[in-house]
Amino acid sequence: MRVADMHIDPLTWNATRGWRPSADRNDDAGLVLYFGGNEALSSGSWFEDLRSLYPQAYLLGCSTGGQIGAGELGDQDIAAVAVRFDSTRLRLAAQTVEDPARSRDYGAALGRQLAGVDLVAVFVLSDGLNVSGSELVVGLVATLGSTVRISGGLAGDGSRFCHTRVGVNEFPQSRRIAALGLYGSAVRVSYGCGGGWENFGIPRKVTRSEGNVLFELDGKPALDLYERYLGDEAAGMPGTALFYPLKVWDPAHPDRDVVRAVLAVDRQARSVTLAGDVVQGSRAQLMRGEFNRLVEGAAEAARQALSPPMTGPRLALVVSCIARRMLMGQRTEDEIQAVADLLGVDTVRLGFYSYGEIAPHATSGACELHNQTMTVTLISEA
Amino acid sequence: MSESGKSELHKLVAKQLAKATGSSGELDIALLGRLMSTAYEEMEHDRRRVDRANKLMAEELNELTGNLERAAEDLRVQNERFEAALDNMSQGLCLLDSEGRIIVCNRRFLRIYGLPPDTTVADRPIAEILAASAILERPESYLELIPARNGATLHQELNDGRIILVAHEPLAGGGSVDTFEDVTERHRAEVRIAHMARHDPLTDLPNRVLLRERLERALLRAARGGQCAILCLDLDRFKTVNDTLGHPAGDALLQGVAGRLRECLRNTDTIARLGGDEFALVVEMPPSHDHLRELAARLVEQIARPYDIHGHKVIIGVTIGIAVSPQDGLDAAQLTKSADIALYCAKTKGRGCFRFYEPQMGELTRERYSLEQDLRKALLAGELALFYQPLINLRPRRINGFEALLRWNSPERGLVMPGAFVPLAEETGLIAPIGEWLIRQACRDAAAWPEPLKLAVNLSAGQLKSHALIPCVQAALDSSGLAPARLEIEITESALIADTEATLLTLRRLKDLGVSVSMDDFGTGYSSLSYLRRFPFDKIKIDRSFVKDLGQRPDAIAIVRAVTGLCSGLGMQATAEGVESEEQLAVLAGERCTEVQGYLFSEARPAEAVAEIVANFGFAAAEEQTFEPRGNEASGRSARARLS
Repeated sequence: MRVADMHIDPLTWNATRGWRPSADRNDDAGLVLYFGGNEALSSGSWFEDLRSLYPQAYLLGCSTGGQIGAGELGDQDIAAVAVRFDSTRLRLAAQTVEDPARSRDYGAALGRQLAGVDLVAVFVLSDGLNVSGSELVVGLVATLGSTVRISGGLAGDGSRFCHTRVGVNEFPQSRRIAALGLYGSAVRVSYGCGGGWENFGIPRKVTRSEGNVLFELDGKPALDLYERYLGDEAAGMPGTALFYPLKVWDPAHPDRDVVRAVLAVDRQARSVTLAGDVVQGSRAQLMRGEFNRLVEGAAEAARQALSPPMTGPRLALVVSCIARRMLMGQRTEDEIQAVADLLGVDTVRLGFYSYGEIAPHATSGACELHNQTMTVTLISEA
Repeated sequence: MSESGKSELHKLVAKQLAKATGSSGELDIALLGRLMSTAYEEMEHDRRRVDRANKLMAEELNELTGNLERAAEDLRVQNERFEAALDNMSQGLCLLDSEGRIIVCNRRFLRIYGLPPDTTVADRPIAEILAASAILERPESYLELIPARNGATLHQELNDGRIILVAHEPLAGGGSVDTFEDVTERHRAEVRIAHMARHDPLTDLPNRVLLRERLERALLRAARGGQCAILCLDLDRFKTVNDTLGHPAGDALLQGVAGRLRECLRNTDTIARLGGDEFALVVEMPPSHDHLRELAARLVEQIARPYDIHGHKVIIGVTIGIAVSPQDGLDAAQLTKSADIALYCAKTKGRGCFRFYEPQMGELTRERYSLEQDLRKALLAGELALFYQPLINLRPRRINGFEALLRWNSPERGLVMPGAFVPLAEETGLIAPIGEWLIRQACRDAAAWPEPLKLAVNLSAGQLKSHALIPCVQAALDSSGLAPARLEIEITESALIADTEATLLTLRRLKDLGVSVSMDDFGTGYSSLSYLRRFPFDKIKIDRSFVKDLGQRPDAIAIVRAVTGLCSGLGMQATAEGVESEEQLAVLAGERCTEVQGYLFSEARPAEAVAEIVANFGFAAAEEQTFEPRGNEASGRSARARLS
């Protein structure tokens, strides 16, 4: 058994101090991943500084709803890691978004750029507002097949939902999609995905929907339901609508349920736009998050990623849903802490609060877009 | 707050303290305060969300519960309606599953099979349920239908006599819906209708249809060796009873006759009523001709016994024609025709008897059939005509009127005298329409004559007994406009014999119309004088036989004298018929005869000739005027229509 030589350096940036790399910095790192708030990403010379720190590395990152670094949950800074793989090869692909309706095509195009016999895993970062995440994943899977595991997330913009950015070896921009391919027999990737949301109230019938736009439940406008349940907080939609994701299932297969978050609302049409299609005739039930159960959901994601256990240095890419943070407030750190406690001190953590999480399904293994979950992608080299 | 809740808060506070504590260990109270108040706000928000969600959820659950309750109520009502509809069906109904178990059934089903209404049926095999029925002995025929995938029906006969129509209708998804209908009444009605199609409703005897079947069956047996006979029966004088006592009496008489006929039969014989007063009897395998002869004689004797009909003693007779297979016919039609011919002959020879068919009877009968058919056509084709013979007043000499006499201008037979067809018309009943036509036509003709010329019309005995006579005369007078005083009705003595009281009543009614009534053929009857006392005839007509003998037999003049004397005594006119010579006229005038008719003055002539006769004679001629017989007249007897 050869000794793993993968090296992971956490680093942070803030407006006053600039980049703070660790003492034993690897300037030959092949990959730098970074996540930061829109405010931080649009200020100062952080990108140029990063490029000069790691001249050979792929620089890959996106805007967030809060980033998870080595320290506490932050909004003002930029959290990053520099990774040097021993034998794992990397390839970075990018795609500009012109029409959100072509999300599947973009996924397929990225897949074609990355396809290769020893491609093991793909990590995707996408614009969070102008791309259909579920369609993007469908396009990727269609090109790469089901053996290549795909994870990642949709860039965020706090609770503002205005614009998101993705950087692919360049200053982060909106309407961009990046996909990183990991190649070779040495790389080990495992995943976890947990929610912790609980359904409540009565099951309802989807009486009218088109694609991912839900018009009516039980013959009444879907937006009415959200406004009723949110009360004063309805003014904060679509953000606040995330407090009540929808569990959706086909009545013929009640065990195959999916969770759909609300991405946008149309106050004229009284409809809500969901992060994924919802078929007319299916059943839907509101869900809500109790803090402790959400934390337990996050812990479940970490447990899944740790099975089977990995040895040696490893990088945990943690992508959690902005809704969880909005709901939990200061208690959000509890879920980060729960994941950290399980992953252990040997694991370098980096992640962000997103507008959509991408990971293989816990039981089926099929890669898909998740809503309102915590996902963990654990990478190491054998 | 729970222990775990407490520890979460402790962790939070610890974090907040850590955040608010600087690197040198000093506590930033303001920051700690902000962190804590934010945390409280977040918790308050969450509490409010949970509160609101719980409240809304409760409301929605309430609404849902309400909806469910309403749906349950709707279902209950629907169920009640369904049950009511099911239980008020006129048919029994069973919904069965594919194993023949009852899913649902209605009360009528249980009632049909005499099962208690509270029988538990759900999910039990129908075979088990029906086995409990005391009135269904053999459920197998129905139970065998149940697995069938085709619709089927069957009739069940229950022990209590009811008939149940079962209809089995398989359902697409397996099982079946089976219906049970009590069709006892329908079944009985069908049996009744089938009976009615083969029986006479009045007497309940077999009718012509059933007789024909029995005769054909009997002929088939006879064909294998043996004989078979048919007796055709015709009641005598039945029409008279019907006309005088009315139809109800006629019906009662027919029932009485049917009863007597039944008494005379063996089990193997069939007696049928063919219609009207016609009956027929099929005798299977008669032991001998003598047996048939004795049977016919017994029938004649039994039918002739008096009947008590509604308090009236009624006597009728029967005439019978007999034909025997194989010699008189091999098939039903031929044999029946032979018996009819024999009956016909029996009737012509005198009623109240029976005749066996003989081959020579055929010819005679054919001629009569042909005459009858021609006569029927004649009436429709307008071949009947009226001829008129003047009635001459002697002092002064003038025409009083004309007597209407019937003729038949047959294209095949030439001019036919009444003697050749009136008896047949009377036998066949054709006399009724002919008589009616005669009165109407004669009145119409006479209305055109100069007043006060009168019209004399003969009535048959049958017409006199008919209820239709008075309305018929009235209608003839009304439609022609002829004054009643100008009409004379002539009746013969023989017409008066039967049922005198009713006849006299009819005569009085005729007189009430203003019509005068004459007694015709006087002197040929039986008890002439008693009639003259009981009815005020206006005229007596002395029969031609007495006129003919005048000057040859001394008693003839004595009779003429007696009649004219009687007439002058009772205030009646005396008319002499058949006056052919001046000598006869001279004698009659000398014997105070007031009116004459005969060839001496004129034969009967067509209606168009009346004007000419009147012009030649003058109906108000002076007393001195003398008449000369017309030189071109053919000699011979005038054949007058005697409708009796």
